[in-house]
Amino acid sequence: MSLVSFQCRHRFAGGFELDIAFQTDHTVTSIFGPSGSGKTSVLSTIAGFLRPQSGRVQLAGQAMLDTARRLFVPPERRQVGMVFQDHLLFPHLTVEANLRYGWRHRRRRHRSIEFRRVLEVLEIGGLLQRYPGSLSGGERQRVALGRALTSGPGLLLMDEPLASLDAALKARILAYLERVVDEWRIPTLFVTHAQAEVRRLANWVVVIENGRVVATGTPDDALSQPEPLGWKNSMGPVNLLRLERVELRDGHAMGRLGDQLLYLPQRDLPSHSPVFVQFSPIDVTLSRQDVTGVSARNRLRGRICQLVPLDQAVFVAVDIGQIVWAEVTPEAAAELSLAPGSDVTCLLKAHSLRVVT
Amino acid sequence: MNLLAIELLSPEEWTALRLSSTVATCAAAASLPLGIAIGYLLARVAFRGRWLLEAMVNLPLVLPPVVAGYLLLICFGPRGPIGSVLADWFGVKIVFSWLAAVLAAMVVSFPLMVRAIRVAFQSVDPRLEMAARSLGASRLGAFFTVSLPLASRGVIAGWILAFARGLGEFGATIMVAGNIEGQTRTIPLAIFTVASRPGGMNQCWRLVGLSILLACAALAASEWLERRQSRHESR
Repeated sequence: MSLVSFQCRHRFAGGFELDIAFQTDHTVTSIFGPSGSGKTSVLSTIAGFLRPQSGRVQLAGQAMLDTARRLFVPPERRQVGMVFQDHLLFPHLTVEANLRYGWRHRRRRHRSIEFRRVLEVLEIGGLLQRYPGSLSGGERQRVALGRALTSGPGLLLMDEPLASLDAALKARILAYLERVVDEWRIPTLFVTHAQAEVRRLANWVVVIENGRVVATGTPDDALSQPEPLGWKNSMGPVNLLRLERVELRDGHAMGRLGDQLLYLPQRDLPSHSPVFVQFSPIDVTLSRQDVTGVSARNRLRGRICQLVPLDQAVFVAVDIGQIVWAEVTPEAAAELSLAPGSDVTCLLKAHSLRVVT
Repeated sequence: MNLLAIELLSPEEWTALRLSSTVATCAAAASLPLGIAIGYLLARVAFRGRWLLEAMVNLPLVLPPVVAGYLLLICFGPRGPIGSVLADWFGVKIVFSWLAAVLAAMVVSFPLMVRAIRVAFQSVDPRLEMAARSLGASRLGAFFTVSLPLASRGVIAGWILAFARGLGEFGATIMVAGNIEGQTRTIPLAIFTVASRPGGMNQCWRLVGLSILLACAALAASEWLERRQSRHESR
């Protein structure tokens, strides 16, 4: 019995065809793909807003949709909490009334989430008497999340929860999302087109392109599939390394990556852990020899697992325990005779790293 | 009611005013549930035969009121398809009573009401109902707690428009309700009656002024509703 078992086929009036099947047992699953790939339709089908021409949806073993048996459970009886991309808070109700809306309707046996605790975790207790129209983007996002939580969902769906926020807010909301996942362990499905969000939040990812599933797996595996999925929009893959521990050495903050060390561009310790480090593949230099006498502080040894040619560049995936992508020219790749299996060193300037907490 | 006001109008004029307001209020109130249902339907739901419903609702807008009154008379007359049923089963006689005036006002003002309500629902994001349902509200519950309150200003404006149109109803009323003093003689009918008398043109100015006053008040009220900034700017 899977947490989510999904299968659906639907042809839209415009000609777009959705043919998607997947299962997941993981707490946080990401549905990843470029915009227009059909991600939101998957969420809509699970929530019960879209009734596909044929399909079957089971949540924790309970059938919510089965076109073969003409079964369709209406959205209000699915106990699925949905966080919409544009929040859809009720503009005529106060924040408190918005939060109580789902609380009022939920079933008694689903009262495991305490109303007060939601206010605490999301830090929205001070907003209760305000109207949604007067909230900032980040506040709205938290209230929308809170509203979905107080309805006591068995499954949480989030449609691009971070897309409408700027970089600084994104980091803050991400931290809230992580707190929510830690606190209640509600199975969550979230849609995104940003690789960094997948790597950061998800334990499992379903990659969708053009209405079809093209890969599933752990974020590291699925996002390294030969097809340059979702890269088209963002011009290549994104590097996001997870550092479980950061320590101070010789007055420098250093992160641990297995038995290797990564210099961070700062002297003080970040207050949260784990710490995530983001950088562009173009900032990674590859060398076949273990080099010394270069200015780049970070030298990470690893083994190439694949090469992906894209436009005028070759993207090289290096396994250093986690995957690091490097962008090189086709000439350089040929000159160094880079191939899967070869050992390389990744050179990285500390200052090209961006620390996100 | 103070003395001055009473002396300002003759007893006949008072009766006409009372009758007009009662008829217009009852007509607008009785149309409201159907007006909301049809306004919502036209704003939100795509269905076959939608154009037919739309045409039927809008017909009284372009039809001469006298024709609407004539059709009502045929349907609700003692031998008409609806009138005979009402008379036989319930013993209710509608034509040439104040109820007929209400009926006439309802039919003639209905398109205005539906139009205002429909526009109001069109300006409410339909996905807010989806949000409500994902939080456990039934379809009807989502309508009553989200869409209707958000469209309430337009609904009230539609009610006022229908009320104002009902106050002025003449053609259909005189056909189906007649012009019976104290029973169906509303302000417009009273003006017509007084003005038709020899030398009556000079006597009906108070009723004319009253009509203008009521119409202006209704327009001002609906305008005010439309312009009023809600205390929470809507999204």
